[in-house]
Amino acid sequence: MKMRKPNKEFYSKVVLKNAKFWNGNAFELRDEVCLIGAGNNEDSLEYDSNGALVMPALFALGIDFMEPLRDDVYTYVDGVEAMRRGGFYGGLYESAANPIDDADKLTAAINRRPVDEPGNPYGSSLAIRFLGAYSKGFGTDSLAEMMELAQTGVAGFGDGNAAIPHSRFLRLAMEYGKMTGKRFFFQPMDKTLRKSGCVHEGAYSDMLGMKGIPRIAETIAAYTVLETARFLQVPVHFKQVTCGETLDLVRDARKKGIDVTCDVGLYHLLFDDSCLETLDSAYHILPPIRSAVDRDALWQGIVDGTVNAISMNHAPVLRQDKVVNFEDSVPGALSLEVALPAIWNKLVAKVGEARAIELLSTGPARLANAVHGKNHGDDVVILAADKPHKVVESDFAGHVCNSPLLGKELPSSILATYINGVFTQL
Amino acid sequence: MSALEIKHLFGLRGVSKHDIRLILDHAKQFREILERPVKKVPSLRGMTVVNLFFENSTRTRTSFELAEKRLSADTVNFASSNSSVKKGETLVDTLRNIEAMKIDIVVVRHKGTGVPKFLADNSNAIIVNAGDGAHEHPTQALLDMLTIEEKLGTLEGKNVTIIGDIRHSRVARSNLWGMSTMGAHVTLCGPSTLVPRNTELMNHVTWEPDVRKAVANADAIIALRLQKERMDDALLPSMREYRNTFGITEELLAKAKDKVIIMHPGPINRGVELDSDIADGEHSVILDQVTNGVAVRMAVLFLLAGGRNNENA
Repeated sequence: MKMRKPNKEFYSKVVLKNAKFWNGNAFELRDEVCLIGAGNNEDSLEYDSNGALVMPALFALGIDFMEPLRDDVYTYVDGVEAMRRGGFYGGLYESAANPIDDADKLTAAINRRPVDEPGNPYGSSLAIRFLGAYSKGFGTDSLAEMMELAQTGVAGFGDGNAAIPHSRFLRLAMEYGKMTGKRFFFQPMDKTLRKSGCVHEGAYSDMLGMKGIPRIAETIAAYTVLETARFLQVPVHFKQVTCGETLDLVRDARKKGIDVTCDVGLYHLLFDDSCLETLDSAYHILPPIRSAVDRDALWQGIVDGTVNAISMNHAPVLRQDKVVNFEDSVPGALSLEVALPAIWNKLVAKVGEARAIELLSTGPARLANAVHGKNHGDDVVILAADKPHKVVESDFAGHVCNSPLLGKELPSSILATYINGVFTQL
Repeated sequence: MSALEIKHLFGLRGVSKHDIRLILDHAKQFREILERPVKKVPSLRGMTVVNLFFENSTRTRTSFELAEKRLSADTVNFASSNSSVKKGETLVDTLRNIEAMKIDIVVVRHKGTGVPKFLADNSNAIIVNAGDGAHEHPTQALLDMLTIEEKLGTLEGKNVTIIGDIRHSRVARSNLWGMSTMGAHVTLCGPSTLVPRNTELMNHVTWEPDVRKAVANADAIIALRLQKERMDDALLPSMREYRNTFGITEELLAKAKDKVIIMHPGPINRGVELDSDIADGEHSVILDQVTNGVAVRMAVLFLLAGGRNNENA
C-alpha cells in the first residue's frame, strides 16, 4: 500500500544552506547558495542541506509513460512525478507501445505533457524530448514520415525496443532519414537469435533450463547497424549495450570514423545474471542482465570513455504482470526514483564526480539535444551520499513499483530536488 | 524418524545427501508395500492433494495420483486445458482459489522454470515439483536413483551416462544434481545443438561428445526422450541421423559393460533413442522405473507431509 507522498511546493527562489555545491569541477562547501526557478510567485524557501551534495539535475534516456494506450498502467503525471523524485529535469521519451510515426502523433505526445501551472506541483516544463519511429507502427516495412517528424521536433529516430529490421529496410530507413541529419537509436538485437529467449544465455540460464539470449544476438545486430552507418554516413546510437563485445565494435567503429554513441542501462551495471537464481521476475528486463564478466566490461567502457551515458529505461509494469513466474512475466523495471542513490557512490569510486555527472546528466542530454538551458540551469538534486535508504513501494510514483531494488538498501538518499521551480522534499 | 530438511520439493540442486537418502530409504519401504496384496496405507488420510498440471502428462500425473491414493489422501486433479486458466485467470489466483478449498499439498507441472517456488512463495501449501520447464523433474530423478540402487546395490562410485536432448531436459538436470550428491559419476552426451552451451555451473559432471566413449564405462545408461515438441527447427537434421549417431543400438551396447542397465523416463520413441530390442531386452529396467515412480512419490509426499502415521508405513 503506497502512503507516503513527498512534499512539493512551487518556489521561484530557493536558498540552500550548508550545501556542497557542484561548481563545474568539484563539490565545494558553501554556507549559502541561491537558486532561481521558474514561475512568477514571490515565494522563497530556505533549506538546510546538512552538508549534502547539490548537483545538476539529471537527464533520463529511455522513458516511457505509457499514455495514451496504457494509461491504466502509468500516466504522464506519474512519470513527471517520478522524474521530480529522482532529480531528472528531462528525458528522452521512447514509446515502446505507441509509435510516434507521424507529425500528428508527435504533436499529440507533446501536448499530452502536463502544462505549467503555478500552484500545481505536477505542472511541468521538464525537458522531455521524443524519438520518432523510422517505420510505421514499429517493425513494419513502411517508412515513417521522418522529414515531417524532424521538422516537428523529434530528437532522433528509433523503433522503441523492437529488434533491428532486416538489412534492406534498415538501409532504406537510414538512407531516407539521413536527409534529416538526425541520429538513429537502435536496441541492437537480432530477433532470430533472440527468438523466445528472456534471459542472458549463459551458465545460469543453462543451469536453470531457461531460454537464453546470446551475446551474438546483440553483436551481430550492432555490426549490421555499424556497417550500414559506415556505408551511409549516418550517426547512430546503441541503447542499453549489455556486453563488452559490442563496446569493442563501438571502439573499432570510432577508429574508422563512424559517428556512433552508446549507453548502458542502470540495472546492467548494478546486477549480473546470478540474480536469476532467485527466479524473481523483478529482474526480468530486456535486453537481459548479463554475466559478471559482461558487467565488468560495461564498467570498463564507463571508465575508458566508450560509454556516453547511463540510461534509465524506465518501464512501468502492472503488479499482476510481475507477480507471476519469471518467464511469463512482462519485462521492465522502474528506475527514475532510485537510480541516483543506487549508483552514485559506485560511479564516483570508478570515474570521479565530474564524469559521473556527465554520464547521468550532460552526456544523455547531449544525445537528445537537451543540455541544461536557461530554464534548467538552476535545477538541482540534493543527495546525501552516505545516508542509506531502504527502497519501499511508496518511493515510486503511480501505482506500480516494479524494480529489482524494491526492498534493498541503497547506499545514498535523495533529500530533495528543485526542478523548474518545484521543490520536492523526500 | 528423521525429518526432511526441505519443506517443499522444487528440485534436487542443493538438496542434501541426508534428504535424498531418507527419501530413497522410505521409497524402498513403500516399494515393498506395493508388492503386497493390500497396497494402501493410511499415512495421508484426511489430507488433500491437488495435482495441478499445466502441461500434458499421462504417466507422471497417473503415478502421483496412484501414490496419493495408496497413501489414502483425497486427490483432486486440475488440468489447465479445462480450467479457469483458459479464461485468463492468473497463476497466483488459480493457486489462491484452490488453496481456499483447504488443500494441503500441491503437485505442480508447468512449462515455466521456477513455478513451484513461485507457488510456495505465494501459498501455505506444501509444493512438489512434477516438472517445471527444462529446469527440474526431481521425482523422476529420485526414481532413477532408486532403480539404480535396486539393480546395482548403490549409487556411490557408479558411472551413469545420460544421452540425448540434455539442453531441454529437466530429467537430466535433476539427475545430474541428485546422482552427483549421492556419489555417482555422471557423464552427459548428446548432439552439440542439444547440450547446454555454458556448463561452468555444472562442471562436476563429465561432458562427452563421443557416444562410444560415453557408454564405455557406464554402469547405467539413461536414454532421454527426444523432446520433439520442445525442439525448435534445425536442431537436428533427422531422426534417422540421430538414431544412427546417438541411439542405443545393439552395436553401441556391445561397447558398454556386460551388466549395464538401460533406463528411459518414457514415453519411448522406439527406433530413435532406443531400439526396440534394447527397450524390451535383458538390460532394460524401464518398467521397474515406472513401479519405483509410485514408491518414490509416496515417499516424497509422506515425508513432506511430516511423516505422520509413520508406523503404518
